[in-house]
Amino acid sequence: MTEFLQLLISGLMEGGLYALLAASIVLVYKSTQVASLAHGQILAFGAIFLYIFLATLHLPLVIALILAFAATALMGLLIERTTLRPLIGQPLFSSFLVTFAVFMLFDGIFQLIVKGGTLTIPHFLPAGTLHAGALMVPAGQLCSFIAALILFGILGLMFRYTKVGLGLRASAENHQLARSTGISVKQIFSIIWVISALVACVAGIATANVTDIYYTLPQMGIKGLIVALFGGLESIPGALIGGIILGILENLSAGYLDPVVGGGLKEVAAYIMLLLILLIKPYGLFGLVRIERI
Amino acid sequence: MLNLKNIEVIYSDVILVLKGVSLQVPEEQIIALLGANGAGKTTTLKAISGLLHTELGEVTDGSIEFQGDRIDRLDPERIVKCGIVQVMEGRPLFEHLTVEENLMVGAYSRNDKPAVRNDLERVYRYFPKLQVLRARTSGYLSGGERQMLVMGRAMMAKPKIMLLDEPSMGLSPLLVKEIFKLIKQINEQEKVSILLVEQNARIALDLSEYGYVMENGRIVLDGPSLKLLENEDIREFYLGLSDKGKRKSYREVKHYRRRKRWLA
Repeated sequence: MTEFLQLLISGLMEGGLYALLAASIVLVYKSTQVASLAHGQILAFGAIFLYIFLATLHLPLVIALILAFAATALMGLLIERTTLRPLIGQPLFSSFLVTFAVFMLFDGIFQLIVKGGTLTIPHFLPAGTLHAGALMVPAGQLCSFIAALILFGILGLMFRYTKVGLGLRASAENHQLARSTGISVKQIFSIIWVISALVACVAGIATANVTDIYYTLPQMGIKGLIVALFGGLESIPGALIGGIILGILENLSAGYLDPVVGGGLKEVAAYIMLLLILLIKPYGLFGLVRIERI
Repeated sequence: MLNLKNIEVIYSDVILVLKGVSLQVPEEQIIALLGANGAGKTTTLKAISGLLHTELGEVTDGSIEFQGDRIDRLDPERIVKCGIVQVMEGRPLFEHLTVEENLMVGAYSRNDKPAVRNDLERVYRYFPKLQVLRARTSGYLSGGERQMLVMGRAMMAKPKIMLLDEPSMGLSPLLVKEIFKLIKQINEQEKVSILLVEQNARIALDLSEYGYVMENGRIVLDGPSLKLLENEDIREFYLGLSDKGKRKSYREVKHYRRRKRWLA
């Protein structure tokens, strides 16, 4: 029982980060209808930027964090401006492929920096573990999980109660109609890419704080996309729940199945889950219900 | 106030839809734009509101001026800011937003928060039903309610001109009457000019001060609405009446010959 609970808790912590990444993909999909493959790189570069400012330039932590966020936001903005905006009005599949091109481009740069090894960011989240009975929770992971939850809360509030949020939701539904009511959809696209890059950046920094910048870090983007699909590409709560479910599934299969099959199932769990979900619910758990009047 | 001079519109670089359309919308008037399907009425509205750009259409010749400034190169969101709002055909809503959120989207281009609040109350005074339904997801509204909502949403932008595309489409005669009464009220009390595209020629001409008739991308006839109501061709083709004011027997109409004169 303790083992089970322990796996559950580790899964929850990991899932929070998947959820953040998925949320950043959902944000972009919701308003631009583009499923982005590039977000794994945005996440990885969030961590890289922090590494540059913190470990090589030796800036104070707060300033380094702010600069890393700013740089990642700029990266999101540039991706939107240079690759996706010219494709507005073209088939969505082109945009999708362009995000793949962006992924490959940044992957090259990423590998140049990391050189197939590992970069270590000075761990700034509290170290040590909290104990509750026989259960252990690493303090750093707990911090990033709470940060993830808070971020979700902020996103939710922003969407529901601010004018920008209203504009985002409106243009998510119908671009032409949104423009006819005076919303600048291009501006909305820029805003959403910046917000999305910031969310991915938080996920990247939190991940790097736990696992360091490993040379396969950008591939987390694929998992993010899986979670987004799983939760329903248009649903932010879906991303949260999907992320947590994936984290828990991964840890459970690592804990119970790996000893049986000899290891490695943790990485496969995500894809098996995706296959099953897409067979049963093609729109994901919380995909938008189409309103039809009869 | 709004002045279209001889505009030509081409879709996808090849399809010529408007072949030199000129029309004027003076201040605080209702102008009717009539014509058969495919005549180019909606395209004319989209050329004015700038929505043409979203559909690979382009104004290739002539000019559109609003209060002296050319607007035919502006983005639709800029044109809304200038004070021209189009209510598109088919009453499209943001279906997943509530009624009130839809109205607030209408005011997106404005930054004067207290005035927006005021206008929201005013819209609710025109359409009391919307106030009752304010928290309802708008996708579930009925046709009449949707029409009220799209008109309310357009009002929230505080426009100087509203472009209405077939407000009567698919509504019961009673509802049509109510909607047109409201259009008249909005025109008079809010001092908004209205450019009205309609298939229902009778009610459109009754309401408007001046009318244009389009066919095949051209204006073929225009004049004060009262005159148009008496025009022989209008009576025959749009109102279905013969000289004596009786219903026309279509067996006797030499359709092609009369049409031919207009098409030439």
